[in-house]
Amino acid sequence: MIGSPRLRRLATFGAAATLALVLGACARDYPNTTFQPHSEYGRAIDFIWNRLLLLGTLVFIFVEGVLLFVVFKYRRRSDDVVPPQTHGNTALEITWTLIPAAILVFIAVPTVRTIFETQTKAPANALQIEVYGHQWWWEFRYPEYNVVTANEIYIPTGRAVNFTLRTKDVLHSFWMPQLSGKRDLIANHTNYIWFTPDSTVPTTVWNGFCTEYCGASHANMRFRVVTVKPDQFASWIEHQQAPAFFNAAPAAPAVTPAANSANAAPAQPAGPTPAQLAGFIIPKEQVPAYTIPQTPLPDIKFDDRLAGDAARGQQLFTGAGTCNACHTISGNPLAVGTVGPNLTHVGSRIAIGAGLYANDARHLARWIKNARVMKPGSIMPTLGKGQFDPQSNSAVPGGLNDQQVADIVAYLQALK
Amino acid sequence: MATTYHPGSDLEVLTPYTPSPTPATATVHKSSLWSWITTTDHKKIGTLYLFTSLFFFIWGGVEAEIIRAQLGGPNRHLVSAEMYNQIFTMHGTTMVFLAIMPLSAAFFNYLIPLQIGARDVAFPRLNAFSYWVYLFGGLFISLPIFFKLAPNGGWFGYVPLTTRTYTPGLNVDFWVVGLQILGISSLAAAFNFITTIINLRAPGMTLMRMPIFTWMSFVVQFLIILAFPAITVALFFLMMDRFFGTAFYDMAKGADPLLWQHLFWVFGHPEVYILILPAFGLVSEVLPTFAKKPLFGYPVMVYSGILIGFLGFGVWAHHMFAVGMGPVADSVFSMTTMLIAIPTGVKIFNWIGTLAQGQIRYTTANLFAIGLVGLFTIGGISGVMHSSPPADLQQTDSYFIVAHFHYVLFGGSIMGIFAGIYYYFPKLFGRMMDEKLGKAHFWVNIIAMNLTFFPMHFSGMLGMPRRIYTYDAGQGWETFNAMSTGGAYLIVVATLIFLFNFFRSMRSGTPAGPNPWGAATLEWTLPSPVPEYNFATIPTVTSRYPLWEGKDVDIESARINQQGGKTAKQLGIVLPYNTIKPLLVALFLVLMFCGLLVGQRLLIGAAAAMAISLYAWLTSPLEPEHH
Repeated sequence: MIGSPRLRRLATFGAAATLALVLGACARDYPNTTFQPHSEYGRAIDFIWNRLLLLGTLVFIFVEGVLLFVVFKYRRRSDDVVPPQTHGNTALEITWTLIPAAILVFIAVPTVRTIFETQTKAPANALQIEVYGHQWWWEFRYPEYNVVTANEIYIPTGRAVNFTLRTKDVLHSFWMPQLSGKRDLIANHTNYIWFTPDSTVPTTVWNGFCTEYCGASHANMRFRVVTVKPDQFASWIEHQQAPAFFNAAPAAPAVTPAANSANAAPAQPAGPTPAQLAGFIIPKEQVPAYTIPQTPLPDIKFDDRLAGDAARGQQLFTGAGTCNACHTISGNPLAVGTVGPNLTHVGSRIAIGAGLYANDARHLARWIKNARVMKPGSIMPTLGKGQFDPQSNSAVPGGLNDQQVADIVAYLQALK
Repeated sequence: MATTYHPGSDLEVLTPYTPSPTPATATVHKSSLWSWITTTDHKKIGTLYLFTSLFFFIWGGVEAEIIRAQLGGPNRHLVSAEMYNQIFTMHGTTMVFLAIMPLSAAFFNYLIPLQIGARDVAFPRLNAFSYWVYLFGGLFISLPIFFKLAPNGGWFGYVPLTTRTYTPGLNVDFWVVGLQILGISSLAAAFNFITTIINLRAPGMTLMRMPIFTWMSFVVQFLIILAFPAITVALFFLMMDRFFGTAFYDMAKGADPLLWQHLFWVFGHPEVYILILPAFGLVSEVLPTFAKKPLFGYPVMVYSGILIGFLGFGVWAHHMFAVGMGPVADSVFSMTTMLIAIPTGVKIFNWIGTLAQGQIRYTTANLFAIGLVGLFTIGGISGVMHSSPPADLQQTDSYFIVAHFHYVLFGGSIMGIFAGIYYYFPKLFGRMMDEKLGKAHFWVNIIAMNLTFFPMHFSGMLGMPRRIYTYDAGQGWETFNAMSTGGAYLIVVATLIFLFNFFRSMRSGTPAGPNPWGAATLEWTLPSPVPEYNFATIPTVTSRYPLWEGKDVDIESARINQQGGKTAKQLGIVLPYNTIKPLLVALFLVLMFCGLLVGQRLLIGAAAAMAISLYAWLTSPLEPEHH
């Protein structure tokens, strides 16, 4: 069978398929590719990768070629011929030990150089972003701006950004495949990764993933990174610094009772300034489709026709919903919980549930009704009346009715 | 009579083989169930390992098929997130500890005494004990999935996820205890084989005349002895935390998760060499036979095996390039990892050198051996790609890694083991496997394997993380995953062909003589299947290839040994007693470990029963008195 036309056709098919795969991977419609660097750091990685790929391909072609050649050429032709009983060849042994060693030097030298170059401390003027991993969402803080947000960050192009990585529970790993290598979040450790997005990087959104198995919803621990021009970033960060833009109640008293979190609004302003109101949010047309989640909805009944009242929603948020036990909304002095993501400007985020569902009323309503079905293992309780809680294996006794959920949705959507 | 014999012209020229009516049972005296349960015969134990590990290979394969069915398309929900996490944990655990290691152990058991000219291993009862501990431990760790309580922390069990704080249920308890049970099995066997190889070689068999499979196995036993303690310590700490409230991995008390990672990978990296070296050994036996020339560079193959074993202890933190060890540690482990590629590559070249200038026969066994050479090369190349930390920060924890280790484990270990099965099947069962079905198995397998795992190189480098129970649409991963799932289904087809061939050939394959392949080493001087006592007369060895290059004295003893038909009694050979004691000690040992999960009374009761059975074992003679 070896050497037959059938085998040759098979080999040709295999080669063609491989070529198609390789060429396909270089195409532009791979939204999470690691092959398109956007920073010096990315180019350093890319340089080593290209060298590895080239050397690997050459070694592959050579070794597999010699193997196939030998397998064909020395096939049995006669049962009587005794082949030369060679036991070895010292010169060959030395040669095929030294040549691989030499090839490895070509990898080793740039490797060590790049390791040291990319693990220096970030420049002093780098934008600092503190990352805190939680099961199963991302807390992001901009300490220089007193901003706390979750699951979505904006970073300016042309400026170094330094991520400080810590975890609040188990191990996680921070990966934006298009932008940089990954770095783990290790309990009782602080890790760093920094790079400078090129000034030519467009204003767009990139996907991020947790890449260290962290339990039930490891697959659902995603985030978004928005690269913007420096002026857009300045505008956005001002926007983020402002308290929530919806406030049906009069401004809160000056002293907040439990000023325990860094994002408790200091002296309560009357409301956002015009600059903050006009703050930059990436327009919907510029948000690429691959960053808008397509996760299908589980079977949770909800009356989508209901109109929600944001003012009632605000009351429910700190009332029957008990949302403030876990969530902070800057500007809502009763909402200072720190168990769950900060929701101050949740209305303008691209996704909810840590990059899991599209951010619209349909998804948000069902999230509130039954987060535990929407996201396996979720610590957020099942809140909808009569909904089945998969973790306690029973239906929720009390809970919010659909109108109440719709109201809370309206409130949250107003928090742009 | 010529003083040297050419390969391929085996002793059948001198003493033609006449098949007896039922060759599979001609020289096997007792084949009752009881004789299997009480056996201390390395050949029976090897056969038990073979069947049990093939069963677990299928079990792990079913787990893989569920994984691939779930990942075949975006946002599928064939199984829940929790069940998926249990299944991927068990797929890894099953394949590493219950399939590949015991498949290798099947060969250690069956082959090593035959290859070195011994009648059995040094400690036959300990040998049986190792098997029963494996069986009971395997059941202990595998059955919980039917209660939705399977381990779910990954096969690598990183803390703090696997501490009681974050995974309070029984799942991880089964894993922590189960792995320790399996470790006992491997360690006992390792001590056994080291003693056997050092002490029981036939006269004239110096270490450098030992068959290469025995050499690679010898290195593997040392790896087991030195590596398993590291994971035992890691698991012991975790067990103490989970059951007795210590704080080795208590993050709130300031513990360091990297303690677990270092301990685990100090074990985990040598473990992968434990997984591949036996397959390397089998390939090194198969290729020379079917090329009709000796292994190219035997001493280099021995030394490179030893070097790989040694260097294998110096690379472990390449699994930790993303944890932030700092540039110096990253660089050191990167360099050692690149270094270990050299002796590994040298083996590939020596295998090609073995085939070159040969008269190559394309038997199924040889196809699989050649397959390993080709596929392991691919896995080795991707491995070198991981060795550079800057590049690895993109690759690690992505499907690129999944591609790499499946190429070396499936394309490497499993292909080598299949080569060994096709090659040694006649020796075990006295019958040949069907070559047509074998070739079908090979071709479907190699296509399926590449179709399953090659696309994973792409999905990984295109951003797909590992250990995810689902992924969203529109991420660029759908096509690759669909291909992988298709390939996985095809692997099922290949495996079914193999199983059909295996079981049918056991019953009705062509009867086989002592040396159907014209091979050179001592096991091929014996009848097929091998009589209970192995060698009627212990051979004298004067060369590495007794049947090809041996002197008259080798040939004469071979001629006596291959005649068969006599019982041990007729030959005056004393064999060890059959005994149930090793099984009892194994059973009570596992029950004692169960007591950790169930309650004190079981623990103490089983410990007492174990002590009593062990005492009975140690104070009873191995075999009847003889002089």
